[in-house]
Amino acid sequence: MLKNKINLLKLIGISLLLAVLFGTPVLAAQPQVAVYAYTSEVTIFWDPSDTFSNEIIWMNNVYETLLRYNPFKDTFEPVLAESYEKSADGKTWTFHLRKGVKFHTGNEMDAAAVKASIERTINRGKGASYIWDAVSSIETPDKYTVVFHLKYSTSLDLVVAAGYSAFIFDPKFSDHEWFKAGHDSGTGPYMVESHKGNEEIVLTKFPEYWKGWSGKHFDKVLFKEVPEASTRRLMIGAGQADFTEMLPISEINALKGNPNVKIVHTPSFQNLLALFNTQKPPLNNKLVREALAYTIPYQDIVEGVLGGFGRQSRGVVPYGLWGYSDRIKQYTTSIETAKVLLKEAGYAGGGFKLLLVYTSGDENERRVAELWKSELAKLNINLEVRGMPWDSQWDLAKSPDPNKRQDIFLFYWWPDYANPHSFLSAMFETEKEINFNLDYYSNPLFDDLINTAASITGTNRKEAINLYVEAQNVLMEDAPGVAIYDMEYVRAVRASLKGYVDNPAYPHVVFWYDCYRE
Amino acid sequence: MISYIIRRLLLAIIVIIGVSIFTFLLTRVVPSEPAARWVGPHATTEQIAAARIELGLDKPIYVQYWKYITSFFKGDWGLSIRTHQPVLHDLVLYFPASLELIIFGMFIAFLIGIPLGIISAARDGTAIDHLSRIFSIAGVALPSFWLGLILQLVFFKELKILPLSGRLDMMTDLLHPVKHITGMYLFDALVTGNFAAWVSALSHIVLPGLTLAAYPLGLAVRMTRATMLEILKEDYIRTSRAYGLSETKILTVYALRNAIGPVLTVSALTFAYSLVSTFLIESVFDWPGLGYYASKAIMTVDYPAIMGVTLLVSFIYVLLNLLVDIAQAFLDPRIRIG
Repeated sequence: MLKNKINLLKLIGISLLLAVLFGTPVLAAQPQVAVYAYTSEVTIFWDPSDTFSNEIIWMNNVYETLLRYNPFKDTFEPVLAESYEKSADGKTWTFHLRKGVKFHTGNEMDAAAVKASIERTINRGKGASYIWDAVSSIETPDKYTVVFHLKYSTSLDLVVAAGYSAFIFDPKFSDHEWFKAGHDSGTGPYMVESHKGNEEIVLTKFPEYWKGWSGKHFDKVLFKEVPEASTRRLMIGAGQADFTEMLPISEINALKGNPNVKIVHTPSFQNLLALFNTQKPPLNNKLVREALAYTIPYQDIVEGVLGGFGRQSRGVVPYGLWGYSDRIKQYTTSIETAKVLLKEAGYAGGGFKLLLVYTSGDENERRVAELWKSELAKLNINLEVRGMPWDSQWDLAKSPDPNKRQDIFLFYWWPDYANPHSFLSAMFETEKEINFNLDYYSNPLFDDLINTAASITGTNRKEAINLYVEAQNVLMEDAPGVAIYDMEYVRAVRASLKGYVDNPAYPHVVFWYDCYRE
Repeated sequence: MISYIIRRLLLAIIVIIGVSIFTFLLTRVVPSEPAARWVGPHATTEQIAAARIELGLDKPIYVQYWKYITSFFKGDWGLSIRTHQPVLHDLVLYFPASLELIIFGMFIAFLIGIPLGIISAARDGTAIDHLSRIFSIAGVALPSFWLGLILQLVFFKELKILPLSGRLDMMTDLLHPVKHITGMYLFDALVTGNFAAWVSALSHIVLPGLTLAAYPLGLAVRMTRATMLEILKEDYIRTSRAYGLSETKILTVYALRNAIGPVLTVSALTFAYSLVSTFLIESVFDWPGLGYYASKAIMTVDYPAIMGVTLLVSFIYVLLNLLVDIAQAFLDPRIRIG
């Protein structure tokens, strides 16, 4: 009897101890925490001037830009600038700033801070700082007005709304090493609370955020690297994550029946291109390149590789981005047409070998190559498919002797900001030193068209689009490369997450302030 | 003795320098463009050229090596191309997680392995001995990544009693973050009284810890058994038995004391070996340690990080070897004279 009582007392004691140790935190009000399971490191750069990589996903919640771009409506939402106007020649842009905005450091955001932020980004010359190339000087006539003087007309509203290198920060807290230690000095709704290496960042709400905190919002956001796709799928399925992306089709299909998860897909500004070596036989022959463009099984790829989450490209500028047009020629899959073109080029019956290189580990690229290989085999063309680490792939593409380079280079492109120019310029404009023009194409007419278009985008967007369309038709005619498909972003989102809007101008970014859990 | 230590130290320095030259050359032979990686995915040719100068890649390779090695000894191990942080900073960040895992694994291995070895030797030829030998051979022979996956399958998926991966439960990490003291969560959480985090850290380390323990455990059983069997045949053991001392006392005091030397020598080397074997285990269990850091560095040809990890592991390996050699020389004059 006494032993039983002692045992009971022991049990009560242990229970109380456990309750004290572990129960207390459970009883306390828990903050609303959102979890973003990301496929790779959540940050590479910490400095808002240098940013050019994965950190876009959290930086756009910590730092703000003057405007935010809506590509679906082609309109701008005021953020740190309430309004703006441009001169008739498109070379002077005036932004009127929002008053009463505070940095996380406690200092007020004003014109001097905007000028200093942008000048610092330009002067550091890192990341996507070249988007400010048109700017010749910045003036601050009063505390809340910023005037940009440009060397040439450009769409500065798109530049100030860029997801990289356009952030405004407190210039009094802008030491590079200070940023690298995991600090921030933005104006955004969240600020950096803690981080673990480059794999995990916790943001916490900034109480003095200019939009205020009434309504439903998350208190904290955790950005966590989860490289394994199956683990990300398990996390979202079990409610351990609110948002994830870059899941293979098999994982997406596994989630389709789960009522706690919704699959969101929107057009992206990213496409996959096959760049032909225009300096090496037989692809130095335009007719052979055209023939190859007719052999790509576009629809099979969209269905078989992308699971339907994408579309065949038309031209080079992806669907949804201005500069895309139905007026641009689109290749179809036609082995018969390819045969005719090959015969005309003097390669009737095929009989040659081509080397295609892709980035090893990219399953989509590999499968595209394999599908294409089987089509080319019908023409007696032997396609060697070689997966290589990106550095080796790029190294081969830059060999001094064009004959030692690959024949076909599979390559993704996406813009640094919502502008079609980089698609056309980076891969097809004449280059003195090879960088991304991995088709080695050079056509003065094409160069002139895109540069004229760039110079009038700020004043005459319609005419700029016409020129970009014309330039893309030149590309379709010369076929130095062909865009195979425009990707769709496919996200797995917890069904209870509300307020999420996918904006391809800010790839992979969730604006967490707008989101809440129901 | 002093001349022996000096000789061994000089040899150790030569080994480290040799490893550094070999790794440095190897990382440069692989086709790579670290300057482009440094800048970002759409770097312009001007930015890449500027980054080459910034990183010193425009200099001849022997100049780069000399700059690297002289800075290395001043505590500057270069900047990681991937993380943009000083390599030494990164290693300080990631190494404690590996160290914690290795200490935990080794502790389990020797806690179970040595008694099992003793029992096996004492019951030589019996069913217990056969079972223990099978157990030890399996521990040494099973690939760690396979064992890790099987443990995950059993304890996470089927039994649902242990977590799949990571070092802490996500919500515990957010609500009860571990204050950084050593970077080893079990220790830090305990000394700061953060018991919620301690429990979570313990539950997370069990599976990777057991996976890591398998090899040294098997080794400890086999080594203990073999040396104990030798010693149990010695005259002084027979004499002890004749004096009527208890079998337990003979085994744990008289026999084990003489048998433990070789086991501890092997344990020091196994500890160093575990530094590398943990790389695979960390991948399986998403454990953010040195192995995780190294595999990312290799995938991105982050040569300063590869150099840093290689030199750190080599240094520990050489240091442990040195300590073992010195200890053996101290105990056995034939070694230091020879």
